[in-house]
Amino acid sequence: MAKSALILCMDVGFNMSNSGPGEESPFDQAKRVIQKFVQRQVFAETKDELALVLFGTDSTKNPLDNDDQYQNITVHRNLMVPDFKLLEEIENQIHPESQQADWLDALVVCMNIFETETGGKKLDRRNIVLLTDLNSPVSSDNLDVIIENLKQADITLQFFLPFPAEEGDGEAPGDQDRRGPGHPGTGKGLSEEQKEGLDMVKHIMLTLDEEEGLEQIYTFRSAIEQLCMFKRIERRPMAWPCQLTIGSALSIRIVGYKAVTEEKLKKSWKTVDAQTNQKDDVKRETVYCLDDDNETEVQKEDIIQGFRYGSDIVPFSKVDQEQMKYTHDGKCFAVLGFTKQSSVQRHRFMGTQVIKIFPGKDDEHAAVALSALIQALHELQMVAIVRYAYDRRSNPQVGAAFPCIKQDHECLMYVQLPFMEDLRHFTFPSLENNSKFTPSDEQLSAVDSLIDSMMLVEEDEDGKQKDIFKVHDIPNPAFQRLFQCLHHRAVNPGTPLPAMESWLKATLECPEVIRERCQSALGEIKNKFTLTQVEKKKKLKTSAQIFGKDSDEPEAKKAKEDEADEEFNLADIAEGSVTSVGSVDPARDFRTLIRQKTLTFEEVCKQLTHRIEQLLGNKSTDYYMKSITCVEAFREQSVKLGNADLYNSYLQLLKSSIPTQGLESFWELLVQDGVTLISEDEVEGSTVTRNEARQFLVTERIEEAAAHPAEDPGDVDDLLDMM
Amino acid sequence: MADWTSYYRNEDEEEEQEDGEQSAGEERLTGRDSLVFLVDASKEMFIKGEDGAPSNFDMTMQVVRTVYTSKIISSHRDLIALVFYGTEHSKNPNDTFKHVYVYHDLDEPGAKRVQDVDALRGEKGAKLAAETLGCGPSSLGDALWCCANLYSDIKLRLSHKRLMIFTCREQPHGGDNVKDRQARTKASDLKETGVVIDLIHLMKPGGFDVSLFFRDIVSPPEDESELGLQLEPCEKLDDLQKRVRAKEQKKRATARINLCLGDGLNVAVGLYATAVTARKPPPVKLYRESNEAVRSKTRTFHTQTGSLLLPSEIKKAQTYGKKQIEMEKDEVDFIKKFDDPGLVLMGFKPMEKLKLHHHIKPSVFLYPEEGEIKGSACLFSALLKKCSEKNVYALCRCIARRNNPPRFVALVPQNEEVDDAKVQINPPGFNVIYLPYADDVRTLDLPRCTSASQEQVDKMKDIVTKLRFKYKSDAFENPVIQKHYRNLEALALDMMAPEEVEDLIMPKVEQIDRRLGSLVDEFKNLVYPANYNPESKPAAKRKTADSGGGAEKKPKVEVSMDQIKVHVQNGTLGKLTVPVLKEACKQFGVRTTGTKKQELIDALMDQLSS
Repeated sequence: MAKSALILCMDVGFNMSNSGPGEESPFDQAKRVIQKFVQRQVFAETKDELALVLFGTDSTKNPLDNDDQYQNITVHRNLMVPDFKLLEEIENQIHPESQQADWLDALVVCMNIFETETGGKKLDRRNIVLLTDLNSPVSSDNLDVIIENLKQADITLQFFLPFPAEEGDGEAPGDQDRRGPGHPGTGKGLSEEQKEGLDMVKHIMLTLDEEEGLEQIYTFRSAIEQLCMFKRIERRPMAWPCQLTIGSALSIRIVGYKAVTEEKLKKSWKTVDAQTNQKDDVKRETVYCLDDDNETEVQKEDIIQGFRYGSDIVPFSKVDQEQMKYTHDGKCFAVLGFTKQSSVQRHRFMGTQVIKIFPGKDDEHAAVALSALIQALHELQMVAIVRYAYDRRSNPQVGAAFPCIKQDHECLMYVQLPFMEDLRHFTFPSLENNSKFTPSDEQLSAVDSLIDSMMLVEEDEDGKQKDIFKVHDIPNPAFQRLFQCLHHRAVNPGTPLPAMESWLKATLECPEVIRERCQSALGEIKNKFTLTQVEKKKKLKTSAQIFGKDSDEPEAKKAKEDEADEEFNLADIAEGSVTSVGSVDPARDFRTLIRQKTLTFEEVCKQLTHRIEQLLGNKSTDYYMKSITCVEAFREQSVKLGNADLYNSYLQLLKSSIPTQGLESFWELLVQDGVTLISEDEVEGSTVTRNEARQFLVTERIEEAAAHPAEDPGDVDDLLDMM
Repeated sequence: MADWTSYYRNEDEEEEQEDGEQSAGEERLTGRDSLVFLVDASKEMFIKGEDGAPSNFDMTMQVVRTVYTSKIISSHRDLIALVFYGTEHSKNPNDTFKHVYVYHDLDEPGAKRVQDVDALRGEKGAKLAAETLGCGPSSLGDALWCCANLYSDIKLRLSHKRLMIFTCREQPHGGDNVKDRQARTKASDLKETGVVIDLIHLMKPGGFDVSLFFRDIVSPPEDESELGLQLEPCEKLDDLQKRVRAKEQKKRATARINLCLGDGLNVAVGLYATAVTARKPPPVKLYRESNEAVRSKTRTFHTQTGSLLLPSEIKKAQTYGKKQIEMEKDEVDFIKKFDDPGLVLMGFKPMEKLKLHHHIKPSVFLYPEEGEIKGSACLFSALLKKCSEKNVYALCRCIARRNNPPRFVALVPQNEEVDDAKVQINPPGFNVIYLPYADDVRTLDLPRCTSASQEQVDKMKDIVTKLRFKYKSDAFENPVIQKHYRNLEALALDMMAPEEVEDLIMPKVEQIDRRLGSLVDEFKNLVYPANYNPESKPAAKRKTADSGGGAEKKPKVEVSMDQIKVHVQNGTLGKLTVPVLKEACKQFGVRTTGTKKQELIDALMDQLSS
C-alpha cells in the first residue's frame, strides 16, 4: 500500500521565544501547528509515518552526533504512526530551550533518518517540514551537496515561518490572501540571520522546484487556520471492472468507481464498564422466551426461523431459504433500453450512491466505444436504463446511466431507480384550488423579493457566476464535532466537553451578507402573511380520550371535577372522613390526605402505591385508567412538594415489573400520556436529567428494535467497499 | 478491503432507524390502519365489457387481490375486510342484515385470504360468486351498518379507517327514497366515527352521475375542491389500480418540523417518505416444537460479577491513536446534538446548480402542516409558486430528528400534476434532496479518455434510437422480494411449487438483438479492430505463475511474532491483511469473536500493547 513518511523538524532554540508584547511567540505558534497537524493525522487514522526532530535543544541525541558536529539536535521520535502518546509528549515535553542549532544541520539529520529508516520501503512521498524563525546562525558550506541529495532521494521540503517569504508582489499565492493586518512584513524587523536564512530557503526551494517552490513556504498563522479542520475522510476508490452489454452481441469493457456516497466513520462506540473502562467487563446477552405467562426460556438450539406472510408465520429454514432464493448470474451492467432523460425524475433516485463508469483500464477501443455511447446519449438527451448487479451475492438493481461530459473526461453516471415495491403513492390536497391557501399578488411579490435578496449564486462584474455557499466544500460537521470532543477528552480528562468551535458553527449558518441583505424582505413577509401557532392539543390520544366513552362520563364533567379537585375544596374538608387511600377514588383520597397533613408524605405514598398495585392486579382497562389517574396524582403532588425521590423510584420499579406482570398495555398508556420521571428541571434535587426523563419512556422500544437488526445480505453499496 | 466495518451497521446507525421502520414505530403508538372493501355484487357488476373485456366485478377482485398482496409486503398489520352487498345470500354476525355478505371480516390479510379472492376472479370466479353470493336486492344502508359493526367489533385501536365502495350503479335503490335516506343516515354515522368513505365508481353505459345519490354518501375531499367528484368512472384496470392505490395508503409524516425562513419566521411542514427501499423482512424466531414466535430479551451484565448493569454503570468508548477515550452515554448524545429538529433556510440557488451526481439517499417530500401553524399553507404555496417560476431551489440546513447531525438539503419545487382521469400523479410541494458534504465526494483518478468520432457517435445514436422505451418508475418489480414472497406463499398454502417470478429487470436479449439487426456489427466494425474481443481479459493481467486451485492462491500468512509486535508498537497493524491478522491472533492466543478487520486489530492491540 502506497503511503508517505514525514518528518516534523521544529526549532526550539531560545530565539523562538522572542516575541513582541502581546504576541504569541514563534515557538508557541510552531507548537500549535504541529499539534493540530498530528491531531489530524491521528483521527484520520492514516498509515503515514511521522518523526519528530527538535533542534536548539540543550542536549544532543541523534545518530550523526560526532564531536562538535550536529550538536543540540534531538531526534525526539523516529518514524512511526502518530498516536496520542506523541500528542501528549508534544503537549508536555516540548518546551523552549536555551541553545541554538544550525537548521541546515537539522535538515541533514532528517535526511539521514529517511535514509536509514525507509531505505527498503516503497513510499509515495518523503517530506520534511521545517518550522523555524531562521534566527540562528547557519553555515551554507555544503548547501549544494544537500540540495543534490534532496533531489536524489526525492525528498520534498516545506517551510513554516513566522513571517511571509515574499512581500506583496503576489508571487507566493499560498499566503497572500490569508495574511491579516498586523502581520510582520518581510524586511522590516528581520534580523540579519533571518534575511540571510530566508534567501537560503528561497534558493533551496527554487532549485528543487523552479515553478512552484515558493508556494511551499507558509506562515504559522495561515497554517493554523488551515489545520483547524479535521481531515476529510478519504477512501481509496475501488475499481469495479465489468462489461456494459447491449443485447448479446455488443459489449464494452468498463470500470466503475463509487463517486459519491455518504461516508460513515469506521469506528463506532463500544460499551465499556464505567468503573474499569474495560470492554470485556460488559457482556450483552440475548435470551428467547415463549410468550406465555411464565415466559418460559427457550434454548437457542430450539429456535428455527420463519417469515411473516401477512397474518401467517411460515417456518422457513435457512437451508430452504438459501435453496429457494432468487439467484442470478452475478456481476452485470446490462442495458434494458434507452429513455428520455426527462422521464427519469431526480426525486426518484434511490440507493445511497452514484457510480461513475469509465472505459476499461488501458483499453483504447473500449474508450472509443464508451465515448460513442456517452456522446450519443448526450446528443439525444437520453439515458440508459440498466440492470446492475455488483456480484453474485448481491441483489440486482435497476438504475439509470446518465451521460456526463466534462472538459477533461467523459463517463456514465449510474444511479439506482426505484422498484415498484419501494414507491408510496400519496395524494395530497391541491394547494391551488383552495382559496384559503392561495397567496395574493402582494404576498407573492414579497416572496419574490425574499428570493432575490437571498440568492447564493451571484454574477460578478465579469459575468462569472460565484457560489458563496458550496455544500460539497463543507466538511461533515458531525465528524468535526466528534473529533473535537474525543480529542478534548483524551487530552483534558475529567473536564466537561467543550462547546462547538466557532468556525464550525459559522459554516452551518446562513452567510452574513445574505442575512443582512434579506432583512427588509423578511420584514415584508412578516407583515403580509399571518402565521399563528395552533394551540397544541396532545397529539397522541390520551387514555382519557380512548376510554372516555367506556367510563360513561362526559369529558366536560370529568374536567370540571378535576378542576374542583385542584382547587381548595371545602366539601372535601368537610367530609373529613378520609383517613386512608381508599379504593373508590384513590387519587382524590391521596390528594386530600396530603392536604390534611395528618399522615406523613411517605405514608400516604405508600398507601397509594399499594392501591395502584391492587388495581393493576386486575389487568383490565378500567382499572388501568384508575391507576393512571393515581400515578398522575402521585406525580403532581410530588412536584408540588418538591420531593421527587419516592415517585421516581416507584416509577422505575413499576417499569421493571412490566415484563413479569404483563403490564405492557398499561405501560403503553403511561407512555401516551407522557407520564414520565420527574426531572431536575421540575424538582430541584431530582437525580434525573430532562433527557433521562424523556428517554425513560422510549428506551424500551429502541432496545426492542435493536434486538432485530434488519437482515440485509449483500447490499451492493457495502460490498463495493469490501473489495 | 477499504472498509469492512461499513458493511455492518454500527450502533449509532441502529438508532437512526430507516424511515420505514420509523413509521412502523408510529403505528405502534397510534394503532392500526383499516380498510373495508364494500363491493356491489349486483348482476350489473358481472356484465362483461365489449370484446370480452373483464367485468367490473372481475376488475374489482383483481384490485382487491393486489391490495391484499401489497399489504402483506408493505404493511401486514393493517386490517382489511371484504364485504359484498346486493347479494342473494347473507352472511354476517348473527345474520342481522339481509343481502349483505361478509366475505372477510376485518383482519390482517394472509395467504388464505389471497386464495379466497383469487377464487372469485375470472370465469370460474363469476360462477363461484353466483353460487355463494347470488344477486339480490340491495340496501346500502344495511351494508354500511354491517360495516360499522365490523369496526366496532375490533378490539384493537384503529388509527385510520377507510371504506371503499365499488359499484357501477349510480342509484343502488332504484330511487327508493326510504332506503336512500337510511343509507345517508348510516353513512353520516360512519363518517362521524372517523371513517373515510370513498366511492370507486366503475364504468357503465351512459356514464356515472355521482350527484344523483353518492354525493351525500362519500366523505368530502381534504381540500375545498370537488376533485373527488369530478373523477370519471374507471374503465380500465390500470386506472382502477391507480385510483385505489392512491387512496389505500394512509400518508404519514415521518417528521413534523418548522421551516424557518429567518428571524423566527416559521412555516410548519411535514416530511413524507414517498420512496423507501423495500427489503425482505427480517425473519421471525420460532420455537421448534410449536412454531410459535418467541420473544427476545437483551440484557447487559457484568462479565465477572454477573450482575445486571444499569445505564449509569456503563460508558461508551472509542479508540484513536492507541488510546481509548471514554464518554458517558449522554455525552455521546450531546456530541450528536447540533440544534433542535427543523429546516433552516440558507438561501436560494438556480436549479442548474443542483448537480445530478450529488445524491446520497432517496429524497423525501415536503408539504405544509396547516394544523401546526395556521397560515403555513399560504406562505408555502407562495414559496412553491415563486421558486418554480424563477426556476430556483431553496438551500436549507435540515435536522429531521432529535440528536441527528445537520445535513444540507435542496428543496426542489414540484407543481401538482394530474393525469387525464384527474388522478394526481405528482402532488404539489417540495422534493427534499440531500446534498453531500466534502467527505462524501470521493476523489477519483480520471483515466485518460479517447473521444469517439462523429461517425461512431452517429452509429450509436441509431442503436439508442432503436431501443427507446417509455420509462415508468413503477414498471419494475423487485425480483428478489417477489421471489421471497412467492416462496412463502407456496409454503403457506401448501402449493407444490411457487409461482414463477418474471424477472423484469432482465434484459430481453433476443428482442434487443432482433431490433438492432446488423447495427451491432456495423458499430463494432467502426470502433473495434478485427481481433479485439471485449469479453476476454486484458492481456496485462498479472501472471499467476503456476495458478492451480484456489487453495494455492491464498497468500501465505506467515508473519513472525516479532514483526507483529513491531506493527503493534507502530500502530501499523492496519497494513496487514485479515488472514494474517487472524493467524496472528492465533499465535498470540488472543481470543476474538469478531471477524472484522478493526475488531481483530483492536483485539491484538488490547493484548499486546499493554
